[in-house]
Amino acid sequence: MILSLIVLIPLIFAALTLLTKTKEQARGMALVATVAVLILTLYMYFNFDSTIATNQFEEMYQWVPSLGITYHLGVDGIAMPLILLNAIVLPFLILYTWNDDRKAPNKFYALILATEGAAIGVFAALDFFLFYIFWELTLIPLFFMVSIWGGPNKHHASIKFFIYTHVASLVMLLGIFGLYFAAWDATGVPNLDIPYLLSQFQFIESGLMKDLIFLALLFGFIVKLPVVPFHSWQPDAYTEAPTAGSVLFVMLKIGGYGIFKIMLPLLPFTASPDLMITILAALGAVSIIYGAFVALSQRDLKRMIVYSSVSHMGYVTLGAAGLVSLSVSGAMFQQFSHGLIMSVMFMSSGVINAATGTRIINDLGGLAQKMPKMAVIMVLTFMASLGLPGLTGFVAEVSVLSGTFVNLPGYVMIALLAIVITAAYHLWALQRAMFGVFNEKLGTITDINGYQTLSMGIIAILILYFGLNPSPVLDMMLTNSENIISLMAAMGV
Amino acid sequence: MDLMLLAPELTLAVTGLAVLLIGLFLPVGSKKILGFIASIGILVALVLTVTSLGTESMMFNDTLSIDALSQFFKIVFLVVALLFAIASIKYMEGNKNAEEFFSLGIFATIGMMFVASANDLMVLFVAFELASLATYALAGFEKTNQKSLEASMKYFMIGSLSAALLLFGISFIYGMTGTTNIPAIAENAAGLVANPIGIVAVVLLIAGFGFKIALVPFHMWAPDTYQGSPSVVSALLAAGSKKMGIVAAFKVFIVALIALQAEWQTLFAILAVVTMTYGNVVAVTQTSVKRMLAYSSLAQAGYISMALVVLTPLALSGGILYVLSHGFMKAGAFIATAAVVYMVLSENKDAEDPDHLDNFRGLGRRMPITALSMTIFVFALAGIPLTAGYMSKFVLFSSTIQSGFVWLAVIAILNSALSLYYYAKIVKYMYFLPTDADKVKEPLPYTIALVIAVIGVLAIFFWSEPFIYWSMEAAKVLIPGGI
Repeated sequence: MILSLIVLIPLIFAALTLLTKTKEQARGMALVATVAVLILTLYMYFNFDSTIATNQFEEMYQWVPSLGITYHLGVDGIAMPLILLNAIVLPFLILYTWNDDRKAPNKFYALILATEGAAIGVFAALDFFLFYIFWELTLIPLFFMVSIWGGPNKHHASIKFFIYTHVASLVMLLGIFGLYFAAWDATGVPNLDIPYLLSQFQFIESGLMKDLIFLALLFGFIVKLPVVPFHSWQPDAYTEAPTAGSVLFVMLKIGGYGIFKIMLPLLPFTASPDLMITILAALGAVSIIYGAFVALSQRDLKRMIVYSSVSHMGYVTLGAAGLVSLSVSGAMFQQFSHGLIMSVMFMSSGVINAATGTRIINDLGGLAQKMPKMAVIMVLTFMASLGLPGLTGFVAEVSVLSGTFVNLPGYVMIALLAIVITAAYHLWALQRAMFGVFNEKLGTITDINGYQTLSMGIIAILILYFGLNPSPVLDMMLTNSENIISLMAAMGV
Repeated sequence: MDLMLLAPELTLAVTGLAVLLIGLFLPVGSKKILGFIASIGILVALVLTVTSLGTESMMFNDTLSIDALSQFFKIVFLVVALLFAIASIKYMEGNKNAEEFFSLGIFATIGMMFVASANDLMVLFVAFELASLATYALAGFEKTNQKSLEASMKYFMIGSLSAALLLFGISFIYGMTGTTNIPAIAENAAGLVANPIGIVAVVLLIAGFGFKIALVPFHMWAPDTYQGSPSVVSALLAAGSKKMGIVAAFKVFIVALIALQAEWQTLFAILAVVTMTYGNVVAVTQTSVKRMLAYSSLAQAGYISMALVVLTPLALSGGILYVLSHGFMKAGAFIATAAVVYMVLSENKDAEDPDHLDNFRGLGRRMPITALSMTIFVFALAGIPLTAGYMSKFVLFSSTIQSGFVWLAVIAILNSALSLYYYAKIVKYMYFLPTDADKVKEPLPYTIALVIAVIGVLAIFFWSEPFIYWSMEAAKVLIPGGI
């Protein structure tokens, strides 16, 4: 019941928010809904048993028995931290936008809530039909978010995002159908339950069929993640989106979630697991190094942050391909950590853009003198993003790199190269934008307001807290990774 | 023989005649009551049909068959007729010919219902013509409107031609098999298979039904007719009369001519792909909403025809479910357009192109219920989750993949992705483009019809089990093997 509430509250409040007339009502409504979700999620989190890898808080009702569709929800150690991430960041995102003036605030907040509900729905769904519905539902509010409140290039960016990810979802749907009908033909019973279909995958006879299903599903996930070379929608969409939209994009960790939840359990049963591991590892290593180099060359601060995100997402696929519990749980933790870090980074760039009217790094300068509060928070998150020990980014990246080194040392060597570059572009951007001589052309600059300080500050504190003590979320990730790895070991992969 | 099995048809016939007769004695001002009588009659017939779901019987020397398939399609026709009748209460307000309008609509529905239960080609043809003749008159009901007359004329000419082709095809079949009884044709099909006449008959029948279903290249009349006819009549044509062609095609091809399967399956594969692609591509550039809906209706007919290509029980149940969903979605969309047209005409009597996309600007603020319903209908037509359109596409497209027609499924899926573009355009006009026009009072009959259609569209998704169960039962009538 609690899981249904966490999914439905944002969706119902989204509809209610649409009916509000003023900014005050809309933001109030959004805050109430997100705080309610946070409270329920915390309750669920504290009652979550992180020592077992099975699904907890399960709910299951028949929906369409003729087709084997059920309303089946549940969370395991892969989904729980991601739901927690969404639940924590969203109330602060609402606070961050508290004093903003924009057109149609009721639609704006309704779309934020709809995205939250759909994203949590993806993490909670244990039926492929439900999973796909929520998966597609995440697309619509974000499309409108970019196309209404986006930057100058919003129409191009939103259409590109929509077509790119929609086509990828359809390919994924083909994979789901393949899985569904293979099991239906073999057993004579239709069933779209995710755990059931994952366990039936090994009985498919044709090796080619298994590989095709695997690759079709994988395509849907890696485009969403995204990894190079399927990332080109991301820089446009993230950059053109309003700050809240960019934060929602990084909250949407459904691509990586799919890799851990669906791809890894299938991997040992494919006809050519080694090939699949190579694909994952290569995509990861290429993303890490490509993202870092492109970020180095960006003039626009927000675009630089977006490419750093491409680079960081590479760790997710690389860690997944590492196939030891350290690297897999590190990759899961990277998703959690990246969500926290990126949301503050996008908020910083949004604040800078609002205060100065530009995001071109070279046009800024010395902002730390005028915006001391913002500067402290921003420096902390940039340090987390480049992997400074004591912050979450370090925990994730060290686990991924050291864990993956056991099986795939070559790819790790490539990724290690990127660490230097990562440090370089972060520090260089900070130096040019925040320190040095203040650029007088920027006029009078005021620091972030109280709501923004609160929201950015608390997320920054969480980055520090989980960096020093990752076990509250890492433990459950480890349990699930060990479960996956023991399955692999049993299959001799 | 139990005459009670025909209770829905008899109720409708009595209602139709009563409306016609009562109308003669009523002054123009109180003819509104005719719409209520018609709606109640249709509602009673609908309830009678729903409660009799599951009965199976043959009537009149095996010329009529009451089974899950015919019951399901009767429900589709009655639902569309109900929406049509309720919405027309407003459309016919103050019109002195209201009794003709409502009784023609009811007679057309009776024709469609008899097509659904026909078990004999002659009954099928006569019922087909009953429905067609009534709709020809309805399409031209605005006698002073040139576009309406053109629509009616075009529809009548092409409809008559298609009826001739149909009859010609039937005559070949009768000549080769010596019977017009649909199951008996299948038993005596040896002659048809051996002789090239069989292929000629298949081609003629596809042309005859293709006109009604509006498959490319037999679609030429559809956009003009849907655009020119009164919007409520377009709803009846697109959501009802088109489905009559589909159920007739299901019966004639799958039951009677299954021996010639190889021939017509290929033809339908080509027609389905061409129709859905052409419909979607042309719809993109339309600025008249009714015309856009007409082309989208072509595309939807293309999807439904996939059931005739895949030909598994699951695909057929998907196609049949799609027919019901499309009835709600398309009738709803046309009625929403009717409400907008009514609004435009009540502001300016001589407005040209009252269904132009520009008139949908800011509709979200001007007519909130109409705009929200329209959004749900177009998203359903595009196959967005939470709607009937998604559920039907899920069953239909997935069954296509199950049978190995992956190429067909991919084309259909790409088509749905494309269709989202022009459907989203309507939504964009309604919610995101500004207008200074004032809020309008939404006419109650239109609103009621829209709400019923919205409930239908959502129910098929959220409470889909009974719908899917009965569409599977209906498919079993066509292919008795079971799933």
